[in-house]
Amino acid sequence: MVACRVVESLTLALGLPGQGMHLGLDPLTFLFLLILAPQITAAAIAGEARSPTFWAFVLGMVTALLAADAFTLIFGFELMSAASWLLVLRGDRRPATLYVAIALFSGACLVPAVFLPPGGLAFILILLGAGAKAGLAPIHAWLPRAHPAPAAAISAIMSGGMVKVALYVIIRYAFIVLGGSAQPWWGMVLVLAGAASVLIGALRAMLEVELKTLLACSTVEHVGLIAIGLGIALRAKAAGDPALAELALQAALLCAVAHGLFKPLLFLGAGAVKHATGTTSLDWLGGLLRGMPRLGGLMLVGAAGMAALPLGPGFAPEFLLLHTVIAAAATGGIVARIGFAALLAILGLAAALALGAAIRLIGIGFLGRPRTLRAAAAEEADRPTLTAMTLLAVCAIPVALLPGLLLLLIQPVIAQLVPGAAPLRLGYAPLPLALLMAAAAAAAMLALRRFGARGERQVPAWNGGFGRPPVWLPFGDPKTQPGGTGFAEPVWRALGIPILRHAGADPGELYLFTPIARLHFRLTRLAERIRRATIRQRLAFVFAALVLFLLALGLGQNG
Amino acid sequence: MAALDLLLRLLATILHAALVFALAPLVLGLVATLRARLLGRRGPPPLQPYLTLVKLIRKTTLVPDNATEFYPVWPYLAFAPIAAAALLVPGFCAGLLTAGLSDIITIIGLLALSRAAIILAGLETGFGFGGAGAARDILFGIFAEAALLVTVLTFVLIAHSPTVDGIAAAFRDNHIGIQVSLGFALAATFMVALTETGRIPVDNPAGHLELAMVHEAMLLEYSGKNLALFEATAMLRLTVWMSLIATIFCPFGIGRAVDILSWPAGLALWLIKLAALSSGLAVFELSSAKMRIFRVPEFLGVAILLGLLSAVFLFLAQRIGS
Repeated sequence: MVACRVVESLTLALGLPGQGMHLGLDPLTFLFLLILAPQITAAAIAGEARSPTFWAFVLGMVTALLAADAFTLIFGFELMSAASWLLVLRGDRRPATLYVAIALFSGACLVPAVFLPPGGLAFILILLGAGAKAGLAPIHAWLPRAHPAPAAAISAIMSGGMVKVALYVIIRYAFIVLGGSAQPWWGMVLVLAGAASVLIGALRAMLEVELKTLLACSTVEHVGLIAIGLGIALRAKAAGDPALAELALQAALLCAVAHGLFKPLLFLGAGAVKHATGTTSLDWLGGLLRGMPRLGGLMLVGAAGMAALPLGPGFAPEFLLLHTVIAAAATGGIVARIGFAALLAILGLAAALALGAAIRLIGIGFLGRPRTLRAAAAEEADRPTLTAMTLLAVCAIPVALLPGLLLLLIQPVIAQLVPGAAPLRLGYAPLPLALLMAAAAAAAMLALRRFGARGERQVPAWNGGFGRPPVWLPFGDPKTQPGGTGFAEPVWRALGIPILRHAGADPGELYLFTPIARLHFRLTRLAERIRRATIRQRLAFVFAALVLFLLALGLGQNG
Repeated sequence: MAALDLLLRLLATILHAALVFALAPLVLGLVATLRARLLGRRGPPPLQPYLTLVKLIRKTTLVPDNATEFYPVWPYLAFAPIAAAALLVPGFCAGLLTAGLSDIITIIGLLALSRAAIILAGLETGFGFGGAGAARDILFGIFAEAALLVTVLTFVLIAHSPTVDGIAAAFRDNHIGIQVSLGFALAATFMVALTETGRIPVDNPAGHLELAMVHEAMLLEYSGKNLALFEATAMLRLTVWMSLIATIFCPFGIGRAVDILSWPAGLALWLIKLAALSSGLAVFELSSAKMRIFRVPEFLGVAILLGLLSAVFLFLAQRIGS
């Protein structure tokens, strides 16, 4: 069923009787395998290589990607879910129940969807099932709870890889399997879900205090960005505009590639911080760059990607996505055009919020003064973690500096998804830009060296003229520097209260999970009351049922 | 002919670079002088920013004892993107060698990169004022970026070009006429520019009270050569924004890089536009008061709405026109 231009096909003897399992390799699968490869290697280097559950998890992801029939796809997907549940359970018991509930929900949506005839219902079920796994709004509130729970290397793969597998399922079904019957509204649904994810994810990433939760919220944002790109591509393809579809797919796929590198990098770094200081709360960190200079430098690379700054790995996808939305606003009905203009405002808000979140991560966690003695005594991360992070950072260099080349490599995938698209030229050239900036910096440095006064002097920080701290506070009073919560306070007042309400609850949690939990509670209470009924009540039930049945029978005969 | 064109474009680019870097302090000085004169004071001479830069360069650089290795990196990281943006935004003529790079979203990204470096510099030593300024600047940046992106939509759709150079050429050569949507876009851009350059309704560049500072608060721990770079960054940023507004909204008379005879007129007009914008800024700063920090999101919210309105008017006009 999934088979479409399978380059190489392989039939295994396992699986459904008489049918076996079919594996295939086509450009789309190949791209996602390439996205997974560096992070799996990095996680294995960082210390997961000896865990069988980890390899089962990897096997599930790879099987889901290579699947050439629906059964194999579901098998791989569920293996991935089950193994990652075990890994979450090993880290933290509390979010594991929520996690397994979401996994069951996505399985319950995917299994019927893959056997339904192509159409709107199948697409919605796929979107619900795979979208729940990817953390797409409105079913995203579980992700910032579950992804930080396991060990850092596993969190890294869950955020960087598992989410991509879920997005792969959406791409595979929306563009290829159900591609023939695609409707423009499918794309709009994806764009709306993506826009909500982007806004809530970016805002929560700015407000969260725990390092790993912050990163997980940022994953929700990036999944939203990819979903917006996919949605615009789906809509443009259904409306017969291959050029726009190609631009949108370039944005979405490049974002998937970039996110698959810098997010695992950041998660591994967060794990190292936890190892060194015993906490990941920004309110207890500070000044880590002095104790952990290498880790700090690598985190800076990841943060530049997360913030989508120019010359970082995250800018080219953001650039393409913004141009996609501008191009989408140029055609179509007037309501859709106004909608895309508003989407541009949301993307602007989210981009600046992501920048704020990245600055907060570096500025509060790694710069400034230590807030605790443990942060002050932090030592450099162990060698395997640093090696793994360096590997990811090195892989991110081509994404940052040669995105045009990378897009040429992605071209076969786009040709597979949208037949008849001509290659587009990227309007962002990082290398000349880097050259200009380097020239400007070098000129400034030469001028300062030639004309400036020589020498520097180390002095106590000026601090607006306040006196030196007492000797028993070697880093000054920690309370005199803004902490993670206080730093985000202006944003909380301006955006957090209107969007997240006073309790700070995620809307996905407030309007979806809480009512479901309340309904579950009521149903349980009802069942419990029935179970506890006395013999008289039970007899009354039976009698009432009998009377009602006879009444219905009699009325039916008369009518 | 192609070689000659290339040579002329190279010459124009070099001249543009020299002029932008040389004139940036003068623009800031002009604003300060005009403002003082309008207030009835004598004020500093327009050349004062040059003297400030020289003074800072000659002073010994002091480094706080709890600074990290990145302390001297932030000034360069703040300066380099703005310098690159100054080379990308056309001044006296369009069609510079950097024209192909001057995508407007790249320029927004460069401005964001510079802002990020300044904010990290403010957080570097971990003292209260720097952190407070940094938190406020992030708040302003969030709304400013949204407003700017919505506004950019209007230019790009009217000019059918994503680059500033292309927008300038399109607005110069095609008779676009006066459009309602461009009026809204101009107002929104002004509001964003005032925020990004730290001018009066949002931040007071001449303020001396640390508690009320935003941009200056982040530089409190910097001195000497490092501070000189930050000051040069602020000056360049003002000039870049003025050039951007002049190029997009007032493109008449902008020269062509391949046509050397159009250079003098373009140069004269560019200087006049910069002077006019400087005096406009001085008058505007006199006529309004600095607002509370938490009024700024409302101010920029208006800019977002104006940007959206400009897009809506553009869509309506195109619908009626087609």
